Amino acid sequence: MPEKLIPGKLTQEQSVLELADFDEVVRLYRPRIFRFLMSSLADRDVAESLTQDCFLKAYNARHQFRGESSLSTWLTRIALNLVRDHLRSRRMRFWQKTRETALDLVDISDWIPDTSVSAETACLQQERVKEVWKAVEQLSRQQRTVFLLRFVEEMELNEIAETTGMNTSTVKSHLYRALRVVRERAGGEQQ
Amino acid sequence: MNTNPNSNLQVAAENELEPRGEVAASIKLFHDAMHSIADRATERPVPSDWLIPARRRQRSGQRRMILAWSCAAALCFSVVPLTVHTAHPGIAPHPPTVFNAQPAAVEQPTSEDALLEQIDNEVSESVPSSLAPLSELDSWNSTTSTTESSIHTEKSNVTQ
Repeated sequence: MPEKLIPGKLTQEQSVLELADFDEVVRLYRPRIFRFLMSSLADRDVAESLTQDCFLKAYNARHQFRGESSLSTWLTRIALNLVRDHLRSRRMRFWQKTRETALDLVDISDWIPDTSVSAETACLQQERVKEVWKAVEQLSRQQRTVFLLRFVEEMELNEIAETTGMNTSTVKSHLYRALRVVRERAGGEQQ
Repeated sequence: MNTNPNSNLQVAAENELEPRGEVAASIKLFHDAMHSIADRATERPVPSDWLIPARRRQRSGQRRMILAWSCAAALCFSVVPLTVHTAHPGIAPHPPTVFNAQPAAVEQPTSEDALLEQIDNEVSESVPSSLAPLSELDSWNSTTSTTESSIHTEKSNVTQ
């Protein structure tokens, strides 16, 4: 019986083999890619479209994947390029203008915290999440990417460096600045 | 014990990269919220035609790209000759007027008869429509005068 594959814990050979079963790749990595795109763009519909684009690109380029990086890093890099292209496109600039007056496309109130806590605590938790969300939206594109990869996708600094193509010290610098903004916005510690 | 000030600074900076206290708790809640929202959005199994919209977008993007490059190429082909033309003002596309004067002089010796015929044609053609009945009358007069003259000659012949 073949050993069950765990994303992010694969050897080079396993990564290449894993890509052969593309349906399984989609099943395993779709939530992660969607989450990263949704938190980067704050738009569920665009995140869904770009998730599809990401997997289509990965499928078309599957023969070029040599397993030098993990499959997760490779897919995240494709997703990151799609985010970059999307933000650069004129259409997105138009949407950015309309979004200023539009609704918050990813509504944090959709998230229901642990039901074991009291209603008051749940409300307070939602407020705290909203504050972090607002702070993340204030960040520059690179700071936001590094912050999300570190604290939402739980990637190590060297993995972030590999995914984004930055060196580790640049990643640290962006993370430091991003955290400063989040600290100022989300309260608590001041510099 | 590490007494290197640079390494102490580095350790301090590394510590700054890890949130603590309330901020850490807020970031953890944010992490949970993002995971929860994304998991709920992707909990349904992927349908078989899931990638079809992406394929369609890719094809339309390729078509747009081809169209854009075609337009750019057409624009280049139409603009480059003009640019070359204006970039070399010393090279005149047409011969100067000095050269044009000579063929005009050569054309001068046409026959006078041909010239008169041409003028006659132009004049005869330029009868306005309002004067057309008069011109018909003229032709009628000319025919009557010729018949009168023929009658007159017949009479003279008879008398002779």
